[in-house]
Amino acid sequence: MNFLRRDFVVREPLLVAILVLIAVVFSTLTHAYTQAYDRRRNQLGQKWFAAANIALQQSRPDSAVDAFRTALLYDPKNWDYRLYLAEALTRAGHSKQALNYYESLWQLNPRSGIVNLNLARFAAQSGNVTDAERYFNGAIFGDWPENDAGHRREALLQLINFYLQRGDTGQAESQLIVLSANLPEDVVLRTKVADLFAQAGDYQRALNQYRLAFQIDPQYLPALAGAGKTAFQLGDYRAAETYLSRAAREDSAGADVRNLLAVTQAAASLDPFEHGLPQSEKIRRVLRAKEIATMRLDTCAQSTENPSPSPIVSLLEQEKKLKPSAKPGYLTQHPDQIDSLFEFSVAIEKQSQSLCDKLTPEDSALLALAGSPTSNEK
Amino acid sequence: MTTADNMPDPSIPSSSSAGSPVDSFRRRLTAQLSFDEDRFFLILAVFLGIFAGLAVVCFRITMEWARLYLLGSALTPSPLRAFLAPCLTGLVISVLIFTIFKGAAGSGLNQTKAALYISDGYIPIRTVIGKFITASLAIGSGHSLGPEDPSLQIGAGLASAAGTRLKLSRKKMRLLAPVGAAAGLAAAFNAPISAVLFVIEEVIGHWSAGILGAIVLSAVSSVVTMRLFLGAEPLFRIPSVGVIRWKELAAYAVLGILGGIASVVFSKLIGWLRPRLKATPLPLQFFYPAIAGLLIGLIAFAGFPQIMGAGYDFMDQAMHDQFTWQVLALLACLKILATTLSFTSGTPGGMFAPTLFIGAMLGGAVGTVEHIFFPALTGSVGTYALVGMGVLFAGFLRAPITSVFMALEVSGDYSIILPVLVANMFSYLISRRLQAVPILELITRHDGLSLPALEEKREEERLNVEDAMHPRPAIILDGTQSAPEAWPFVSHTAEPHFFVALRNQPPAQISYDELRHLVEAADTRALQNTEAIITVPHLHPDEDLEDALPLATRYPLIPVVNRADRSQILGVLDLADVMEAYRKSHYEFTDPL
Repeated sequence: MNFLRRDFVVREPLLVAILVLIAVVFSTLTHAYTQAYDRRRNQLGQKWFAAANIALQQSRPDSAVDAFRTALLYDPKNWDYRLYLAEALTRAGHSKQALNYYESLWQLNPRSGIVNLNLARFAAQSGNVTDAERYFNGAIFGDWPENDAGHRREALLQLINFYLQRGDTGQAESQLIVLSANLPEDVVLRTKVADLFAQAGDYQRALNQYRLAFQIDPQYLPALAGAGKTAFQLGDYRAAETYLSRAAREDSAGADVRNLLAVTQAAASLDPFEHGLPQSEKIRRVLRAKEIATMRLDTCAQSTENPSPSPIVSLLEQEKKLKPSAKPGYLTQHPDQIDSLFEFSVAIEKQSQSLCDKLTPEDSALLALAGSPTSNEK
Repeated sequence: MTTADNMPDPSIPSSSSAGSPVDSFRRRLTAQLSFDEDRFFLILAVFLGIFAGLAVVCFRITMEWARLYLLGSALTPSPLRAFLAPCLTGLVISVLIFTIFKGAAGSGLNQTKAALYISDGYIPIRTVIGKFITASLAIGSGHSLGPEDPSLQIGAGLASAAGTRLKLSRKKMRLLAPVGAAAGLAAAFNAPISAVLFVIEEVIGHWSAGILGAIVLSAVSSVVTMRLFLGAEPLFRIPSVGVIRWKELAAYAVLGILGGIASVVFSKLIGWLRPRLKATPLPLQFFYPAIAGLLIGLIAFAGFPQIMGAGYDFMDQAMHDQFTWQVLALLACLKILATTLSFTSGTPGGMFAPTLFIGAMLGGAVGTVEHIFFPALTGSVGTYALVGMGVLFAGFLRAPITSVFMALEVSGDYSIILPVLVANMFSYLISRRLQAVPILELITRHDGLSLPALEEKREEERLNVEDAMHPRPAIILDGTQSAPEAWPFVSHTAEPHFFVALRNQPPAQISYDELRHLVEAADTRALQNTEAIITVPHLHPDEDLEDALPLATRYPLIPVVNRADRSQILGVLDLADVMEAYRKSHYEFTDPL
């Protein structure tokens, strides 16, 4: 032993070798110990993750949050645990905490599609346009673990909705054009895009998309109804009538489709600007419009207790003055008065709209005709 | 104890074998392979870091196992476990520290410091094992204590064991304990720079350049070892700090003031309770860990299990805005209470983590409230929590330098420095004003010890040569003069020595008698060319008076010269001047009136 001690102090290399040996032995033991603990941690992490998912499925987001947090305690680096915790926090109403988690996840992987999409939703909710666009684009061009095309499309749809909610129809429309060019053969998706085009005010493209949709499934009610509504907006009442009639034949068609069909049919029969209409038919339609408007005015005057201060009085006086000219013979001799008479009828409808309720389909049709593109062109 | 200093040097040959070529070769070889303690000390520091790192890894895992078995695997323990585990474990700990591991009580920080200054850094291995087991149980069962201080003692203990086994000199043994302590703390807190600074501030108690290299080596190697096994993940996720506007510094100043007050309350509570508990009969003290555990269990049972254990997970949550300010403030108060109970009961475990916990909660609360009233403030709640940690560190542990570097090291963001400096300054000043004796020194005094502290040293006024020197003598001879030329100036004086000014050189000295001999011999050579002048060492006015003392004892009069022009004498110093300066300084210190 004395010999060994002497060596200890005289032979530095030997001493270092012994220290290395001790370090290796203790490192091996420590490694075994940490491995045993890591295995236990992983088991616990998985156990709590499973419990959290069950809580989430059972719509108990608060319990899920606690369980996900516990799972993270045992596996702090686990991406899924963090992501699910952020989702559970969102569902539990802890938006700020969820946002913190998503931000920390974004710092770890800025290309994650799901993280970008969630951050985009938060930014959109808070009205932060720059961040919302940045994160939506991150989601559209980011990485998705599976079905990346579908997820990217979904992200693009959400971006379009965001633009529409903000009233930025130009941006929405340009993104829709991109999206519509790359859509799969999916009637639901095509109809959704058509709906968005309609929301953006691009009725022509919307109608095209609806037509493409019912090329895939001719009986798909939302596409038929949408096409009908869009054709109606475009002033193509004959086409609208066709689509809506087909839609109304379906049992599942709602009251709104049937009501719009009635209005469309009325508009089709009253439209004085229909292409290729003979003069006599045009006069007949204008006179019919005048008749509907006068009826509306009378009904409105009767239902109003004291019409004297109302604009109805002046409309009634004007109607009396125009009575002589509202004759087929007069209008045949004075065709320049046809449009004035129709405009007067529309004016009555517009004025009475704010004063009286209960519009008949004919009244609605006249109002629609007043705003239709063909009328405006006229 | 035999030290290497006392051992026979193998490089010195015995008289019987001297001279032969074989012996000469052996001598040379032995000299090459001989043990160089200074060189080996640095290598040993690295190995100590590795050993301390491994020990801390095992310590942390044991603590986690203890938590799993005692409190269950849930993030917040069930009320029954929370209520029973700390109390029953407290009883087991008492049995251990009263029977087998008598030196294992307390945090470990002061014990390490005491070992360093009282027993040359010697810490018995039984204490290390005891601290490992009892602190694991205590923290794992939910006692409001942290693993850092015990890790520090475990590291120091391992270093002591290695030094004893290697029979290092007493001087090296004293240096070895802080090396191990820094390694233990660095591995426990995953922050080597803060660990090094903390050990210098709180364990060594003075700045020592000689040991700095070894401490840094051990701290870094321990952190690397720890990360190899446990990963490089920080103990809590630090939110990004971002740019801090100058207007916001006022908000951090408020945090500093509140942190200073909280530090004082915390210190006063411990300072009041600990001596009272220590003064009670020993059999009663046996039950204190269990009673503390019971009270902590009650707090947890009442709905605040966050205060149990080190609480790093909840610090993480506080940093990420997961509590309301009311909850944060309440947790800070309850943690002060719980840590006071655990610590004063003698339960093994440290105050490092609880201090950070209190700071994080307080910072989070202040940050949240300030955001409510001033929504324009850009600093996140996490940033306030991080600054709060530093604030409590500066105010409670009174380690201002460590506190700044800790915040910097943990966040890795330089923008945190300014708010930390502002907040820490207020906290430190308030704490110093309202709590004259720092908590660690107070605990030392409770234990009847007197150990050096860096804060005292910081306040000590260092005396320089300029504080003691007296004005330059009226007569300074010119070196170009001959002795007869110089004689009329000195003949009538009673001075025994005169300075001789030399061109571009420090002054020399000549005695009255030597000068007289030259005059009598009619020596007309310039004084600077004669053998009669003698060179004397010189001093500079800014030099430490302590360094001047050995010279003053050897030379009757020492010139104090200008650093830019060494031939210019600014004053002179003798032993009487030095003694008078020290006497005056001591008088002022002890009796300011």
